[in-house]
Amino acid sequence: MSRRAHPTTPSKSIFFVVLTFLALAGIGAYFFQKDANPYRTVEKLIPTDYYENANSLRGNVYQIEGTILNSLAWNPEKGRLFSIRVTTGDSKNWPLPILIPSSLRQINIQKNQSYRAKVRINDSGILLVEEVQKS
Amino acid sequence: MLVLDSMEASLPNASTPLLSKISAWYPAAHFGAILGPSGCGKSTFLKVIAGILPHTDGSIFWRGRNLDESDLSPGELGYVPQFSCTQPLLTVRENLIYTARLRRSASANEIETIVDQVVEETGLTELQDRRAGVLSGGQLRRLGLAMELTTQPNLLLADEVTSGLDPKSEEEITLLLSSLAKDKGRLVLLVTHSLRFLDFYDSVTILSAGRLAYSADPRDLTSYFNVSTPEDIYPALAKRDAETWAEEWAQAPNPPELTPSTVLGELESEMSRAEKESSFELPSFLSQSSTWFFRRLKLFMRDPTQVFLQLSLLLVFPAVVTLFAYRGLPSVRNMTMSADSGVLDQLRETLAFTIQSSRIGTLVSGLAMFQVILLALMGSNNSAREVIGDRPILEKEKLAGLRPGATLLGMSLFLLLLVFLQSTWMTLFVRAVCQFPGNILAQFLPFFILTAATTALCLAISSWTSSSEQASLGSLYLVGFQLPLSGAILALPDSLGTLTRPLISAYWAWSGYLQTLRDTRFYDLVRAISETPLASYSMALWILLIHLGLGLVFAYFGIRRSQWR
Repeated sequence: MSRRAHPTTPSKSIFFVVLTFLALAGIGAYFFQKDANPYRTVEKLIPTDYYENANSLRGNVYQIEGTILNSLAWNPEKGRLFSIRVTTGDSKNWPLPILIPSSLRQINIQKNQSYRAKVRINDSGILLVEEVQKS
Repeated sequence: MLVLDSMEASLPNASTPLLSKISAWYPAAHFGAILGPSGCGKSTFLKVIAGILPHTDGSIFWRGRNLDESDLSPGELGYVPQFSCTQPLLTVRENLIYTARLRRSASANEIETIVDQVVEETGLTELQDRRAGVLSGGQLRRLGLAMELTTQPNLLLADEVTSGLDPKSEEEITLLLSSLAKDKGRLVLLVTHSLRFLDFYDSVTILSAGRLAYSADPRDLTSYFNVSTPEDIYPALAKRDAETWAEEWAQAPNPPELTPSTVLGELESEMSRAEKESSFELPSFLSQSSTWFFRRLKLFMRDPTQVFLQLSLLLVFPAVVTLFAYRGLPSVRNMTMSADSGVLDQLRETLAFTIQSSRIGTLVSGLAMFQVILLALMGSNNSAREVIGDRPILEKEKLAGLRPGATLLGMSLFLLLLVFLQSTWMTLFVRAVCQFPGNILAQFLPFFILTAATTALCLAISSWTSSSEQASLGSLYLVGFQLPLSGAILALPDSLGTLTRPLISAYWAWSGYLQTLRDTRFYDLVRAISETPLASYSMALWILLIHLGLGLVFAYFGIRRSQWR
């Protein structure tokens, strides 16, 4: 017995609308979180493995995330060498050498800044940056 | 012909019904009065016929069709409520033109012609350029009637439109209603508690405590109640209980339904219906939206207080933000990269950098959050009273065919103008004075969507509350909780933060804005001082859009639901 001026309360509709929006929020969160790390498909570097035997990792590509500690060296042809502090899940800090090649000279690197990078371990065991972004 | 067959109406869980077993009939071209002492159910009687209140038992038939199966169409019904449904800032003519545009699909010239006819019919010709806000009680009732006549309804229900008027105005309105009943086979029912002018009515229906005590010719009234004057009827009613009066009336011989005048009236009514069906059409969705939008815009421009308040907020709020960095954001001094300096120098430098981080990071984060909160406040001010302020008009127009979605679109277009101005000026002014770096469009977007989302959420609050005070308070709480629960000033415990952040628009706008500074040192300094994680830019925009969507959907349901006084 519902007339135009007295519509029935659409509690079911409201429930489904809320559910739809929650689902949309969840789907969005899932996809956008994936987008937040462009190197998510690249394996994470385990600092202990690196410290044990960096040479055995030569040629491999990893992702790292850390904070710049100091500038160690600079060469106009080879690039800039920094020490970067990588924090592992057990809250231990690991300083690692990272080389930003001259091809990435436009990137402004500052002490205490955090970066996320895709790196390749080069022949001398240094982490050579292929791609980098602030985290 | 309107036939009520054992019509009943009750409130949920109430022991006694509001109306009980009402059986009566009213032919076309008829002027009927619904009388009775206060609280006897007269207004309820009218609202049940109009469909504003549901009947819980029995049936209502209009022109032979059961209204439960096929309701009165918008153009068939005119309902004039007790309260004024006019816009005081609009003139009489503008009130009528906007009403006609919302209810009828017609060209501008046709609308003007309809309004001319209605103005003449209701005697408002001399007053048509006067604002409704300065009209007397009687003139307002005329305007209320005139607004209903823009659709030329066949059934006109008037609820206490003569109450509280001086005797002359009361007589004029009663005469007007009587003449309207003679036009095109129209049935007019008037609820009144006045026993004056009984001679004007074709029938009188008397209710007593929700029961039918009488429904017939007014000339037989005094003899039926065995009183000498009509004024003695109410005291006589009080002497016996309503049940006894109802039983007595049920046993009384009913007057004949078919008389030459009722047959003539029905014929007129049928002819009018056929004519109307071929010409009457509701305006389109977009037409109703644009009418609502232009009407709202005109009302805004006519209200100097509203314009002044909006302009003040628009100019003052961004200026207040810039007070904290009117010379521009301070430059950031970076730490030396060399490891050659001594430990003491390094410690000194680290300490200086930490102090700087704390000062500049707090400033940048605070400026971002300050803009967000003030925009949210503007958003709540935009819409907290938007629906509730117009509720009586909205309900009446919905009854006359206004679509809730079209109303929402019209309101949203108007609010979008305010939101755009507010977020644009806030972004540009603060950026220019404080010299914020970063992409300007990227910084505008989170602010724009945040203001729109808060406006939409407050619109929803406005549409679900029953008073302006409730709506304002609800909107104020919505904004008030944003700052502490955003985690921008004080970080919340992890578990609580995870639970509350999805609901806090300010957090997402703050995060989104700070992400636009990502390539600058300011971002690092904010990260250094804030324990609250920052969401990515796209995630922030997405959640703000979800808030906006939810606000609009809830506002739609709120506008759609019936909320008659």
